[in-house]
Amino acid sequence: MTTIPAAHSAVAPRRRITASRTRRRLAPYLFVLPFVALFLAFSVYPLIYTFRLSFTSWRGVGAAEWVGWDNYTYLLTSPQFWASLGNSAVLWLLIIPIQMVVGVITAVLLNSVMLKGRAIYRIAFIVPFVTPLVAVAQIWVVLFDQNYGAINAALGAVGIPPIGWLTTSEWAKPTLALLFLWKTTGFIVIILLSGLQSIDSSLYEAASIDGASRARQLWSITVPLLRRTIMFAVVLQTLAVFQMFAEPFVVTQGGPYGSTTTAGFYLYNHITRADLGTGAANSFLLVILVMALSLLFVRLLRAKD
Amino acid sequence: MFSSIRNRSGRGVVIVAALGVAALSLSACGPETVAPEGSADADMLQAPTESAPSGEITIWDRSGDLFEVFEGVIAEFNKKYPDITVNHEAVDIDAKLQNTLITGTDVPDGVFLDDAKISSFTDFLWNLTDVLAPYVDDIAPQKVAVNTSDGSIYGVPFDLDPGLLYYNATALEGAGIDATTIETYDDLLDAARAYKEFKPDAGPIHLEKAPFLAQLQLEMYANQLGTSLGDDEGGIRLDGTEYTEVLTFLDTVSREGLGTRAEYLDPTDIGELENGNQVFYPWAIWFSFAPQQLLPETSGDWRAMQLPAWEAGGARGGAMGGSSFVLPKEGANSELAWLFYEFLMFDEAGYSAVWGPNAVYPDGLNTSIPSYLPAADPTNPLFGPVEALGGQDLWAEATTAGAEIPAAGPIPTWWIGAVDYLGNNMQRMLDGDMTPEDVQTQSTEEIQTNLIDRQ
Repeated sequence: MTTIPAAHSAVAPRRRITASRTRRRLAPYLFVLPFVALFLAFSVYPLIYTFRLSFTSWRGVGAAEWVGWDNYTYLLTSPQFWASLGNSAVLWLLIIPIQMVVGVITAVLLNSVMLKGRAIYRIAFIVPFVTPLVAVAQIWVVLFDQNYGAINAALGAVGIPPIGWLTTSEWAKPTLALLFLWKTTGFIVIILLSGLQSIDSSLYEAASIDGASRARQLWSITVPLLRRTIMFAVVLQTLAVFQMFAEPFVVTQGGPYGSTTTAGFYLYNHITRADLGTGAANSFLLVILVMALSLLFVRLLRAKD
Repeated sequence: MFSSIRNRSGRGVVIVAALGVAALSLSACGPETVAPEGSADADMLQAPTESAPSGEITIWDRSGDLFEVFEGVIAEFNKKYPDITVNHEAVDIDAKLQNTLITGTDVPDGVFLDDAKISSFTDFLWNLTDVLAPYVDDIAPQKVAVNTSDGSIYGVPFDLDPGLLYYNATALEGAGIDATTIETYDDLLDAARAYKEFKPDAGPIHLEKAPFLAQLQLEMYANQLGTSLGDDEGGIRLDGTEYTEVLTFLDTVSREGLGTRAEYLDPTDIGELENGNQVFYPWAIWFSFAPQQLLPETSGDWRAMQLPAWEAGGARGGAMGGSSFVLPKEGANSELAWLFYEFLMFDEAGYSAVWGPNAVYPDGLNTSIPSYLPAADPTNPLFGPVEALGGQDLWAEATTAGAEIPAAGPIPTWWIGAVDYLGNNMQRMLDGDMTPEDVQTQSTEEIQTNLIDRQ
């Protein structure tokens, strides 16, 4: 029989406890380590690298020459930069209010138990969102052609002269906004629908008993209780509108006369010309703008709460 | 409790600081922020000296008809170089090339690239002056010029795209107009006026609405006059009288209602070509694709002739667009890729396989001609007559026009960026909002400020 020395037997459990505590302390860090590593590699590092790049005139090769604030001052005094922000702002005004109103009404209709075949409608609404943009864009170009498009043909039948939907500065933005609305409203409807389903149905029953009309219920119950979801959708779509690139790229190439050159498209122009320093500075200005807008919406939401 | 919060917040600060330090350290080891070493000679590609070179090469081409054509040539290449394996890849070059070259990852050995983009990448490319030396005197001067930067050649010239005047012979004959008598742009204006009188709804001459293509077409007209947007030093020379002449012509077409403003082969353009309203199309040879594929109503009615001259007896050739092959310095087997392109462009078996009858083009590739002059012999056609052009010998017409193309300046790095200014201002002129002189003055200033000064 082996005899364990008294001193050793007292230390061993203490060591085990210490090791166990250390493991417990380290465990959370080990669990988050993969995320932190990926976050550092793919978010923090590119962000800091881009920030540094924004103070250089680097074109992808050779030494990165430090130019101080030059890229920022160039952009902030460039009419094209402000025009691109203006275009995005106008698109925001054309898209977001309409999308939220249409989205809420559609979601309420799709949520109604009286609507037959709800599943089919829900799928139908999400189809544009999953359709490849390039295919949609080609259809858009054909539909909205000034001389041979179906839209002008239909308008011509009721005596309206042809409109340069994609070829005039006045109409290109609304046409692009329409494409964006058609493509993404289904996605917003799904988000709002999930918000609607979390509203307690007893509230509607009580309102009904009290004699509230459907419109009154919508305005006094649905909209207030859906406010957080709506605000989430607004923030999401604000980001999407200010980063909008693919739509103008495939439909108008930013034209005519730069009228559909969005903030995202303008940024792309710097990158493709290997003007990486200016592109990086442009990215940061956009990040600041979008963060400011998002904070503004969050503040508005809190103020209402 | 408060000390616990303080401790936690202190730990958070430490963690954030550690992350920041780590990220800064990472950002400090970013890619290529120091000047690459090497002399001019180190950048000069040399041909392999082995008798039977071997290895693998990766070649990027854009997807579509040309990819299929080049794919078909690989078997011919392997008859001459059986030990070289060609990995031929269809790639969105515009989207991938820049990032690939900057990061130096998976860099191909050879890339098909628009001539207008070559100057933007010269820092990443082999200088081909030495390997092209045996051929350079036999290459169209315009193609050598557009592949040259600071006196060195960076691309193996592929096609020559001479501008031609396409015209609807049937429609014009119906109006009693003989297009073959057109020799100058004044003659073209007169013919357009006559056609407009015959058919008042017509806009006989195509006016391009897409800013990029409008600028490309402007360069074709300017090339006829022996000039180009960029000079040999990378500066802008848009203020020359040649550009005034060209812009005034376009302005006249617009003001007199002699033009159809449409984007190249968009629904409006096709509709106006098919209904006989648009009967003159001064464009690169590659417009031949339209009567063959997109204009069923008028296919067979179209013909091609040399561009009119700006003055009687002047050059009737001007280049519009074109592509070449570039060899990145980071490619693993660039010297083998050179052998591939040398075969394609300068070996009779190679260029015959490219432009001659093949699986994609049974009558041959008739949307361009070779830039290698021995291959572009008017009497020795590589592609056959084009039925959609009434059986016309397009080869003879195009090679004759190609031989008249004057050399111009190299294409500067800022050329594509200039579209935002010059391309758009040209459209404003066609809208009647600017004069030709306004276009020249304003575009020059904008290009200088926003592009040239910021290089």
